[in-house]
Amino acid sequence: MLVAPVLIFLGFFFAYPMYEGLRLSIWDDEAVLPLREGPSLKDSESGRLSQGVTVEVLGRQGNLLTDADATDLLTETWFRVAVTQPDGTTVDGWAPESRIRVREEGPDGTPLSGTVRPKLGEPDDPRTTLRDGPGEGGTEVAFVEPRAPAAIVEVAILEVWFNVRGTDPGESAQGWAPSRFIQVFGDEVTGRIDRGSAGEFTTEFIKKMFNDRFFDPAWRTTLLLLVLIIPAQFALALLMSLVIHARLKFNSWFLYVFTIPMGMSDLAVGTLFFSVFTGNGLLNSVLEGLGIIDSPHVFLSSQTRNWIILAIVVAEIWRSTSIVMVILVSGLQAIPDENLEAAELFGASYWQRVRYVMLPLLRPSVQVALILRTILALQVFAVVIALGGGDTVTVLTNETFRQYADFRNNNVAAAYALFVMVLSLASAFFYLRTVRTDTEIER
Amino acid sequence: MSEIVVERASKSFGSKVAIDDVSLTVDDGEFLVLLGPSGCGKTTLLRAIAGLGMVDSGRITIDGRDVTYVPAGNRKISMVFQSYAIFPHMSVRNNIGFGLRMSKTPKEVIQERVEEAASLLHIEELLDRKPSAMSGGQRQRVAVARALAMKAEVLLMDEPLSNLDALLRLEMRAELKRLLAEVNATTIYVTHDQIEALSMGDRVAVMKEGVLQQVDHPTVVYEDPSNEFVGGFIGNPPMNFIDGVVRQDKGRLAVELAGQKLTVGSALPALRAYGGKPIRLGIRAENMEAVQSPVSDGLKVRVEVVEPLGAQNLLTVTLLSAGSDAQPMKVSTHPTFGVTVGEQLWIRFPSHQIRWIDPQTQEVLSSG
Amino acid sequence: MTERKFDVLLPLDSSEVQRLHRNMKRRANRGRVWTYLGAGLIVLWILVPLFFLTSMAFTTREAVRSYPKSVLPFIPFSTDTVRFFLDQPGVVDGLWNSLIVAIITLLLSTILAAPAGYAIARYIFPGRDLVRLGILAVRAFPIVVLSIPLAVFFLRAGIFDSLYSLAFMHTALTMPTSVLIIASVFASVPHELEEAGQVFGASALQSFWHIVLPLALPGIAASSIFAFVLSWNEVFAAGVLTLENRTLPALLLVQLQQSSDAYQFAGGFFLMAPSIVFMFFIRNYLFNMWSQVTK
Repeated sequence: MLVAPVLIFLGFFFAYPMYEGLRLSIWDDEAVLPLREGPSLKDSESGRLSQGVTVEVLGRQGNLLTDADATDLLTETWFRVAVTQPDGTTVDGWAPESRIRVREEGPDGTPLSGTVRPKLGEPDDPRTTLRDGPGEGGTEVAFVEPRAPAAIVEVAILEVWFNVRGTDPGESAQGWAPSRFIQVFGDEVTGRIDRGSAGEFTTEFIKKMFNDRFFDPAWRTTLLLLVLIIPAQFALALLMSLVIHARLKFNSWFLYVFTIPMGMSDLAVGTLFFSVFTGNGLLNSVLEGLGIIDSPHVFLSSQTRNWIILAIVVAEIWRSTSIVMVILVSGLQAIPDENLEAAELFGASYWQRVRYVMLPLLRPSVQVALILRTILALQVFAVVIALGGGDTVTVLTNETFRQYADFRNNNVAAAYALFVMVLSLASAFFYLRTVRTDTEIER
Repeated sequence: MSEIVVERASKSFGSKVAIDDVSLTVDDGEFLVLLGPSGCGKTTLLRAIAGLGMVDSGRITIDGRDVTYVPAGNRKISMVFQSYAIFPHMSVRNNIGFGLRMSKTPKEVIQERVEEAASLLHIEELLDRKPSAMSGGQRQRVAVARALAMKAEVLLMDEPLSNLDALLRLEMRAELKRLLAEVNATTIYVTHDQIEALSMGDRVAVMKEGVLQQVDHPTVVYEDPSNEFVGGFIGNPPMNFIDGVVRQDKGRLAVELAGQKLTVGSALPALRAYGGKPIRLGIRAENMEAVQSPVSDGLKVRVEVVEPLGAQNLLTVTLLSAGSDAQPMKVSTHPTFGVTVGEQLWIRFPSHQIRWIDPQTQEVLSSG
Repeated sequence: MTERKFDVLLPLDSSEVQRLHRNMKRRANRGRVWTYLGAGLIVLWILVPLFFLTSMAFTTREAVRSYPKSVLPFIPFSTDTVRFFLDQPGVVDGLWNSLIVAIITLLLSTILAAPAGYAIARYIFPGRDLVRLGILAVRAFPIVVLSIPLAVFFLRAGIFDSLYSLAFMHTALTMPTSVLIIASVFASVPHELEEAGQVFGASALQSFWHIVLPLALPGIAASSIFAFVLSWNEVFAAGVLTLENRTLPALLLVQLQQSSDAYQFAGGFFLMAPSIVFMFFIRNYLFNMWSQVTK
């Protein structure tokens, strides 16, 4: 009961996005366009065509606009008019805009009145049909003479629906669909399904990701960073935790300083090391001060990819070693002092004690730390951007961001995210298997 | 050869003095027990000898070599820890052979020694098991085996039996004694259990609050304690202490105890100096003689509690003449001694069994 | 007591023996010297870059641009760079936004996590281990996977680019950690205290309020601060989910390429400063969290 709010919140803001994120990567929301029996959403489905299929346009009809925000529509405007017939009677009905010539407009452009246009090309019956409602589907109410005066009472915007026929590899389908989904070519008899309104499972996005020209450099760099950073920082973290374990004087101050990087945002660290490695930064100043170089060495530029990688490695080690250290220190504290005293008494030197007693008993902690750090390292982002600009050196997370922000392709972005997740799970699984721990460590 | 000499060792933890100017010699091959209540400094002393907690001042020599500040690993000693300190991630075999592995002993030697130690402790079947699946008693054997495998000249043991249940403790006590007699290393054994101390040691060193009280053969410590503390700490039940005043009675010495006079037979010369002064009388429960009919050399007492303990009846008595501040005494009788609560008895105090204690210094007056 | 002395051994209080003991002590402490050295090196490794950033933030812009940078810090000392930074468009807003989001995250995270932490610590209910495991899983989850769909969802729901929605997301990220820390804090308060309170007539709620809560408050405060720091520092989701109302990290991220050194240094300083202060207060509680995890 007490746990409920947490679970609800997490379910909402975590489980749902997680599901959505995965879904976005493998589900194309606009893959298929359902065709209907008639030009209305209420009509039943008569078939489906995939996005991109060429179609023949068999007919068109206006339909009340259901979605005011839709884009790429073809629209028709219909007027409800009160027409004064030559015989003096007034008839009321709807006619398309093309049949009424607007002569008077209101101050804001609203058409107020006009006359009925003659129907060209039909000398036998030049009258215009009025219907009971907007759209060709309405029943005929009256026929009005050309040039009869008409007062425009109401305006309705209709979306044009097309009756199309096309062949999806294997099956052909025919039916009506709103114009916003169909692109009609100039000849007005052929067209193409621009996008669908129903989704289907697809590996398109994933394939797109694999073929994306940034994919290769991104995942290679990510893995390279992993291989360079993790072993180095675990060694450093071990040394740091041994220092803390030794309980020197000022131990709590050492601990505080050692954990400061944990509290810093990765962007801040990126900026920090940018200031170190940049042209007129700390490193160059020190090197020149020591006389090692004469002029500033360029570390961070599009030509010095390897230096940038090195800078990222240094920055990441600086930033993220603390959390490994915290885990290892907890593990070390769990080792009973008498075990280490016994080892010492029986002749083990300090490093023998580290190797034969501390490290084996640290295996569970190392496993946890490896899993956590690898998952976090796969998501390295801000440091890379700060030091490499995202182009010379790019990583998977950066590509996710690029797909989302620059290319506006949420689906491929989601595919990248999915890839990161798969790698994370795979690595966790790998560590659980290879870094074997004793199931029972006695007290 | 592997004699241990502690000279004037002192160590404090902050303001608390753990051991105070302790000097002690353990002869080669001797089994010395460090005995005392918790906090008396025995473990501190042992750890200082081991090299796990160095002294602040003083000197420790092993085999003539000054090892006062030498790290534990270089002292050529072996130890059994109170919590056993078995490495949970290693097999029993690797645990026992740990010290030998660290000193880079050849593999065959290690194997031989490990198996030898395991057979001494009867744990051969456990050799390839992990400690997590073993009982406390088994783990304790592994700890002892590990120490023995080193074949060190000095063996230190920090309360090795205290974590075992009573029955196991009894068994292991005998087994350890036999085993360690064979091994013949100079052994220092720390315990708070005075029965263990008396049963196992060649000599017992009693400590209290960081100060060495007495170092002697168990029987001497038992029968001739050097002070009140030792007398009261050793023995079950503890020694009885009764306060009185020394009086001259017709040329002979007597002690007045709660109004009753006890004539002292072969009196200690030292006692004469206490004429008219307060004295404390110490005597053990089993050394007092309980008589149901009046005797002239006995004191009249009232029986307060009768505890039939099977092998003896333990009576709690008070001097009849004493008032509300009566000091209770424990008297041991044969189990067939029929007595009831409230009954009056006469207790004889054989002179040679009495230990006279100066109430102020708490020292036992020596007979010499 | 027998006392035997070897002829070879010199008396204890002789100067030779004293010297010998001094040498022995020195030899034994040699290892510690190396340890202090190592510790010192690591401290330098961590502090030097921070020091540099701070001194750059608090100096004139010319000094920032100059090269080579002088070794002496804070010369000349000036708030020029900081003021320049604060004058930039969007910066003060960014600071303000970051603060608001972080505070909301702090409050939400703590309020929601506290009952859950209490429940996990005190009661054994079905699915308890699953909940703990789930919470751990959340912590390890790629934020990347979450941000994009949340952005889409917020867009559709009309609450995109709002500080509240970002705060919600940050809360989702920090809640697991808060729950774990608070659970371990409550677990460390002995149950007997609550029961004792009830024996003396307090209701369960009173017992909790007057006895348990004051004891748990420091730990709860620590977890709130941790949530604050996490939110303040968070950059990826902030970059994805905000547009007009950017938090400071998001702002800096977007401006990264075209901004001057001075801008970046001052910005880095503002990102870094609160964290350092807060880490000081919560450093002790970090271990509680992990001792629970490595069970």
